[in-house]
Amino acid sequence: MASLGYYLLLAAFVVCAYAAAISVAGARRRSQALIESGIGAFYLLTAIMGVASAVIVYAFVVGDYSIRYVQRYSDSVQPMFYKLTSYWGGLDGSIMFWVSLLAAFGSAAVYVNRERHRELIPYVVTVISVVEMFFLFLMIVHNNPFQTFLTETHTDGAGLNPLLQNFYMAIHPPTMYLGFVGLTIPYAFGMAALITGHLDDSWLRAVRRWTMISWLFLSVGLGLGMIWAYEELGWGGYWMWDPVENAGLLPWFTATAFLHSVMVQEKRGMLRVWNVCLVITTFFLTIFGTFMTRSGVVQSVHAFGDDPELARLFTIFMITLVVVSFGFVIYRLPLLRARNELDSWLSREAAFMMNNWILLFSAFFVLFATMFPTLSEAIRGERLTVGPPFFNQWMLPIGLTLLLLTGIGPLLAWRKSTVLNLRDSFLFPVAMGLLTGATVVALGVRVWASGICFALSAFVVGTICQEFWRGARVRQRATGTDVFTALVGLVGRNKRRYGGYVVHLGMVLIFFGFAGEGFKQKEEAQLKPGQQVAVGDFVVRHDALSVTDDGQKQMITAHVTVLRDGKPFAEMYPAKWIFRKHEESPTTEVAINRGFAQDVYLVLATFDAATQSASLAIDINPLVNWVWMGFGLLALGIGIALLPDAAFAFATAPMPANAATTALIFLAVVLSQGVVLAQETIPAVFRSPIERRVAEEVMCTCGCRLSVANCGMMNCHGKESQLAKIHQYAAAGQDHDAILATFVREHGGHDVLMRPPNRGFNRVVWLLPYGVAVMALLGLAATARRWSRRDVAAPAAAAIEPEIDARLENELRDLD
Amino acid sequence: MSNKAAKISLTGVVLATAFGVLLYSSLGESLQYYKYVDEVMVEPAAWHGKNLQVHGTVVPDSIGRKDNTLEWRFDLQRNGKVLRAYYTGIVPDTFKADSEVVLTGTMDDKGFHATEMTAKCPSKYDAAPAGPAETTVTTPSGGA
Repeated sequence: MASLGYYLLLAAFVVCAYAAAISVAGARRRSQALIESGIGAFYLLTAIMGVASAVIVYAFVVGDYSIRYVQRYSDSVQPMFYKLTSYWGGLDGSIMFWVSLLAAFGSAAVYVNRERHRELIPYVVTVISVVEMFFLFLMIVHNNPFQTFLTETHTDGAGLNPLLQNFYMAIHPPTMYLGFVGLTIPYAFGMAALITGHLDDSWLRAVRRWTMISWLFLSVGLGLGMIWAYEELGWGGYWMWDPVENAGLLPWFTATAFLHSVMVQEKRGMLRVWNVCLVITTFFLTIFGTFMTRSGVVQSVHAFGDDPELARLFTIFMITLVVVSFGFVIYRLPLLRARNELDSWLSREAAFMMNNWILLFSAFFVLFATMFPTLSEAIRGERLTVGPPFFNQWMLPIGLTLLLLTGIGPLLAWRKSTVLNLRDSFLFPVAMGLLTGATVVALGVRVWASGICFALSAFVVGTICQEFWRGARVRQRATGTDVFTALVGLVGRNKRRYGGYVVHLGMVLIFFGFAGEGFKQKEEAQLKPGQQVAVGDFVVRHDALSVTDDGQKQMITAHVTVLRDGKPFAEMYPAKWIFRKHEESPTTEVAINRGFAQDVYLVLATFDAATQSASLAIDINPLVNWVWMGFGLLALGIGIALLPDAAFAFATAPMPANAATTALIFLAVVLSQGVVLAQETIPAVFRSPIERRVAEEVMCTCGCRLSVANCGMMNCHGKESQLAKIHQYAAAGQDHDAILATFVREHGGHDVLMRPPNRGFNRVVWLLPYGVAVMALLGLAATARRWSRRDVAAPAAAAIEPEIDARLENELRDLD
Repeated sequence: MSNKAAKISLTGVVLATAFGVLLYSSLGESLQYYKYVDEVMVEPAAWHGKNLQVHGTVVPDSIGRKDNTLEWRFDLQRNGKVLRAYYTGIVPDTFKADSEVVLTGTMDDKGFHATEMTAKCPSKYDAAPAGPAETTVTTPSGGA
């Protein structure tokens, strides 16, 4: 079976080479027969890779442990689902999976476009085949997944890493790969256009949908990766600026930039060189990301293979890629001249250009910071690293600026905005933003980044609502229906635009969730049964420890009661699982209590079975779930933009109803564990509650920039003296605020405090989501009612008269 | 046209310089040296007070923890050089004798005071597909 697989790979390589060569020959001789033959060969490649995938999956299912890859990444007790997903559990298999996906994607793209873009297709086949050849070559000479053991025989496998035996980790890589692989298609079309010189905008039309689909997969892939990190790794967050995470983010930045700048080219014929470069850069970054994480060039502690051979092969491929691609761009520069010039900086195209520059800068910055250790070693001979704080320091203002542009862009007109229409369109969103900003300030939020983020979010939401409202009003006047039908009709008429707004709304939710990070609370405590600790508004009590076994693993579970306001709030069971096959690395099973306002996140860090004591890491993560909901909304938005025209065959079509239901179910699933409310603290284990709270809010003076409670320096004198002061003031009968005031007075400034008291602010955070949720529910109810009623009235809406249609078109254009 | 091109390139140069300067100056505070234990132990005093990441292997039987606290003390070694390390907080699952760890923190006469610990299991972790196969425990709240 192993040799069958290997021969299939060899055959695939030969077929690929044939497809690449014959397509070029066919295009140059203008021989339809040769071109058809190339296309056929490419379909054949897809079939071969399909069979090869089936072979390796079969080997996993039956447990053919003579194959190294199967032995290393699965075992006999593994559930069937994870046996299947072990296919992409390691490097060799994931390359093969990549090749198979690219073949399938490429075939689909070729099939769809073979008539419409006849002149491009042969070169599209060539480009994809060459990329495939590289990866097939890699597998054949270096990472053959079908490699067998020479002498040893194994009766069972080593088992997939338990950390990867998680639902999200099973579906995250394929989603990510679909995104990466999908971005090869725009590149192939872009290159084909450059090679043939057919550089009108037709290649853009061919790749627009593919880019959107890939972008969707990439975004959802990143989201799933974040959920996985959050649920499985157990450090309480979801993004660490790890090289692997950054590898996925880099092409996301440039693909996002491309999705925006492509509109400028369509509408105004500008940025043509820019767009080609973006497509090439995006593809390059997908390859570079793979290279960065697989070859050991960015050495991180994760045992990602330190593999100079692989690094060499990748380097050769990447240099060739850059030289050839940009060589063609330079060669074709005369054909890529812009048809228009920028008329005014107060125009939508200028906003898009800003957005592009910022996104590109983000990509550059993340690349620079990720590669920094390697760069510094190469230049200074000394390995220097930069941590997450450095990334955050830069990406925070960048992210906020992007959010601001999200709100501004749609309000500006193409070409040039007049003062009048600026005032007209900015009034409402700016008022929304200012109002939120004022509320935030009035409630005393001093985490400035989060405060600004809330205000900007309101501004963007204002923009989007206004866009929908105005469009719907115009359409309502034109068609004479009610606002709601007009709204659905509006979206149906201009799916890309309004789908895009829904995506923006998703991004706002994601940013809203990020802003919650500013109010995160963290505590670590060693607890005996019956002891409890206060964290923020919650009290966490450790009740007992239990040990169970299910054959595959031993499970140590802490039974924890979380109290709020003295009343039981939740029973939670954080655990450690020790897998038989991986006893040296137990997995952490995080317990999460989800809510709109915050997650209570518990990790069982260490335990002592004899005394039943456990050390718990407790995180209160405000607003995290809004990030996941944002990703859901984002997917919905892209879904709307991608809907075929028929789906909207007017407001009566069942599609939007289903989409709404799906979204509702998604929300319900995500939030099924309940919603929670605020309260205050009671007894702590170590110190009095007041002292504990103050200790979290006062900065340690040893220079660690941490709070007194969290300072980890062993011989930190600052901590002791500060704690002594706190104790002294508390003993003197001062309350929480008075102690803080004393500290500020003695220190002579507010910088002795970690963060401002956040009670006032919490009210906004808690109210806002409920407001949005209530509005969403009302909206959904209205939808449901509308659609159930519209069955009868349907034909009327569908029969819009042509002249009304034309008028609407005009008015919509005026709105642009 | 050429006037316009000049303006654009001038703007570009100014922006690039501004960002370059900003990037360089902000780098200073967050820079950390990445060293192996034996590199540091050549002249330990030279590293006092610097932001540092040290990479080494946990010496077996050196791990100690104060009862009922999360205060750890252990030795890191590489090529025969040993460094005493202190860490308060929750250690990763993979932290144990002979495991490879990277500590972030500062040095003084007593040893290395870590604020962050990252550990890896050398044998079993293999390239996880596009996901971080590591366990990190951070004392300050990390992540964005």
